[in-house]
This record gives sequence, C-alpha cells and structure tokens, in this order.
Amino acid sequence: MVVGVGGLPVGSERPVPDAGRARRAPGTRRRDVLRGLFGAGAVAAIAPAVAASRPPRAGGGDGPGASGFDLTYRGRHLVGAPVARSAAAGDEQWRVTVDGRPLHLMRRADGSWLSMVDHYRSYDTPLDAARAAVDELGPGEHLRDPGPGTAHEHTDMGGRHGLHP
Amino acid sequence: MVYTRKDVSRLTASEKRRFVNALLALKRRGEYDEFVRMHIDHYVSDGEGGLRAAHMAPSFLPWHRRFLLDLERALRRVDSSVTVPYWDWTRQRSATSVPWTKDLLGGNGRRSDHRVTTGPFAHATGNWPIKENVTDGVFLTRDLGRASNPIELPTAAELEGALRDPVYDTSPWDSTSTRGFRNKLEGWGSGRGSAAWRNHNRVHRWVGGNMVGGASVNDPVFWLHHAFVDLQWTRWQQRHRDARYLPAQPPRFGDPQRDRVVARHEDLPPWGVTPAQLEDVSGIYRYA
Repeated sequence: MVVGVGGLPVGSERPVPDAGRARRAPGTRRRDVLRGLFGAGAVAAIAPAVAASRPPRAGGGDGPGASGFDLTYRGRHLVGAPVARSAAAGDEQWRVTVDGRPLHLMRRADGSWLSMVDHYRSYDTPLDAARAAVDELGPGEHLRDPGPGTAHEHTDMGGRHGLHP
Repeated sequence: MVYTRKDVSRLTASEKRRFVNALLALKRRGEYDEFVRMHIDHYVSDGEGGLRAAHMAPSFLPWHRRFLLDLERALRRVDSSVTVPYWDWTRQRSATSVPWTKDLLGGNGRRSDHRVTTGPFAHATGNWPIKENVTDGVFLTRDLGRASNPIELPTAAELEGALRDPVYDTSPWDSTSTRGFRNKLEGWGSGRGSAAWRNHNRVHRWVGGNMVGGASVNDPVFWLHHAFVDLQWTRWQQRHRDARYLPAQPPRFGDPQRDRVVARHEDLPPWGVTPAQLEDVSGIYRYA
C-alpha cells in the first residue's frame, strides 16, 4: 500500500533507491566528480603536490594563528599550513597532510575544526584536529590517497565539501 | 500498511536474522555502499559556505528521517517483513548487550586495530568489506566506550534536556545554536572537552571506529542509532503539540544563513521533499 505524506511518495514500491537515483539525476556532473574525489579521501583544497612544493616552516607553532606545523605524532608525519586566507575568518583554510596524504578539514561556525576521520566533535586548531584524526587511525591504516590526476580538481573545489555549487 | 519499528532488545531470533540478511543482501548488490557515499557527500560544515542539509542544520532530523526511509524501503524490497529497529542507548548501555551480540551486529572491535571479529559483519565472513571510506581501512571497526579515553553513553536525563525544549530550532540554525530541540539532540556543544558532545554526537563517539567519521554509515548500528534519534523527534512532537519545524520561512536577505538552511517548505536535497512533508510519518510507520 502506498502511503503518501503530503505528497511524499514514501512507502511506494519504486525499485530504485533514492541514493542511486540521486547519482543519476541530471545536473550532477560535479557531484560525480566529487564522488570520485571523496572516494579518494574527501580532500577538498588539500593537494599533496602543493603541500610538498610549499613546505611550512619546520617546527612551526601549533597554536591558533601559527604559520604551520611539520612534526611527528604517534609515528605519523603531520604537515599543515594555512592557505589563501581572506578577510573573513570563516574562509581560513589549511592544507594538512598525514604521512603525505591529504586530510580534509572543515571549519565550524565557532571557529573550531573537524576532519573527515573524526566528524562528531571539533577541535581548537588544525593541529588538534589532525592529531585527533591520527588517534582514530589503526596500525597501518592511512587516509585514502586521492590518486593521480585529481589534485587539480581539489584545488578547484575551494575548500568546500558537499554537493552544493 | 503502517509498519512498526521495534526496540532492538525485543526482536525475535527470526526478526534479527531477517534484518541482518536484508542488510547483507543490499551490501552484495552494491546498494548499501551508495548510502555510505551519500552520507559522506552531504556533510557540509557550518563554518564553510553552502547549503547544509544533513548536519549542523535544522534539517538534520528530516534529512536523516528520509535517509532511513530510503534504507528501510530497500530492505523491505528484499524482505517485506523487515523494519529498522531502534537502539535505546539510554537503556542498552553495555558493550556486551544488544545490539552488540553475535546474532545481530556483532561485538566490539579487538584491541590492536579495532577490527570487529564477531557477528555477521566481521571481515572474516567476507560479507561486509568496507568500500566507501575516508581511510584505506577495509574492515569494520569499533571501539565501544573509547577504551583509551573512556566516555559514557548519553543518559536519559541528557536526552530529556533536549526533549524539554519547546522550540524546534533557533537562529543561527547551526552547531552554535544554544536553544532549540534540534541542536540539543544533534549534540553540538559550546564548551571544550568530552562533556560538550551530547546525545546524537556522543553516541557516534561512544561506538567509535567507523562511526566517528564521515563514513559512519558503514557500521549498521548507524541505522539503529538514527531510528532512536528519529523516535525522539516523534516524542518531542507529542509533547509540544503546537510546535513545528523551524525556520518556517527562509532567512531574510542579508542574513548569513540565507541559502544555507532548508526552511519548512523548501526542498530538501537530494530528494526534493520538504521538512513539512516529513513532519508526520504516522501514515508510514510507528514506533513500538
């Protein structure tokens, strides 16, 4: 029995899951691109090539406003540097890598940071968020590498994560 | 027919088996991983630009309600007797009680790498390879209670604190909203340290492993957890009869939240249904 709620076709017997339908919806080419990228670790605006070519100051501080960090934490190599900071605090972005693999960081409205690996709380600084992500990694587990040919796409994404243009 | 979502602690052996088998069937067909991907793709944080539909937003509840309905519909195509059970984490608080049993979701991850080694979703069964992930991990992981830095599940009193709020949500409609049922239930705190992560968020962290990250849907407990969260919305509506989803109208021009949240009669991506259409599901399912 089909029971609609206010026109909502829930309970219908359509043989297509909406998750799948969304993938094939028109106008979602960018989403398909993102899908590939996020399959590779959700790494908006964090290109390892860029991180490698613009090394932050070694031994940089780890407090807010620091120029960057390059250190080892629990055997993992953490590198982070702010990029393309604009006047709006909300636009501050960091490129962070763990063992050379990009860690996608997101900003919370209160100015704190969270990562794709640790998504249900946030941290004062990018370094705190990166350390927390490392805490979640098991022995031998790595962030998913974006793979060849995707770095350019990352930088085009402008630090955003999601479907919305 | 209106179907019933049950307390997972009250499922019969047959109901557990059928629920598990339907999940495994979706996994085999690749459908399950589409749900994992969809959740990852829709995580937009509130300190960045763009429309937030799934988290840190008023539509946290309707988004996940519809997400569960989609999963449930897929499960019911496999086996029409199946519904998504809910895990009442205010009552089932042990790492060895339901749903962490061998006949349901399996138990805690092992100490060395948090790999789940028991139950139907253990890697060794070959039935639950992790494919959509934010790391290269290929097996389901859990760290129930967070052994290295223990936390407790939210209490009934903490949940009551959310249910008591008579307003659905308040400006700025994000993770910093200090009043309103939605954020108190979603659980974004304003302080520092573990006490700041409440209710929904705290449960993700208590389960640990895959449940902590953007690919949390990889752990089937995601659905049991969110069914219980969804039940809270229903309970809140019953308690505050005149209260509705907010915001009723989109934020005005000039409001920083303009185009960043879904108002009551706006389309919820990716489905194109509105929060208003998802407020009453009594014609579809009920909770027992």
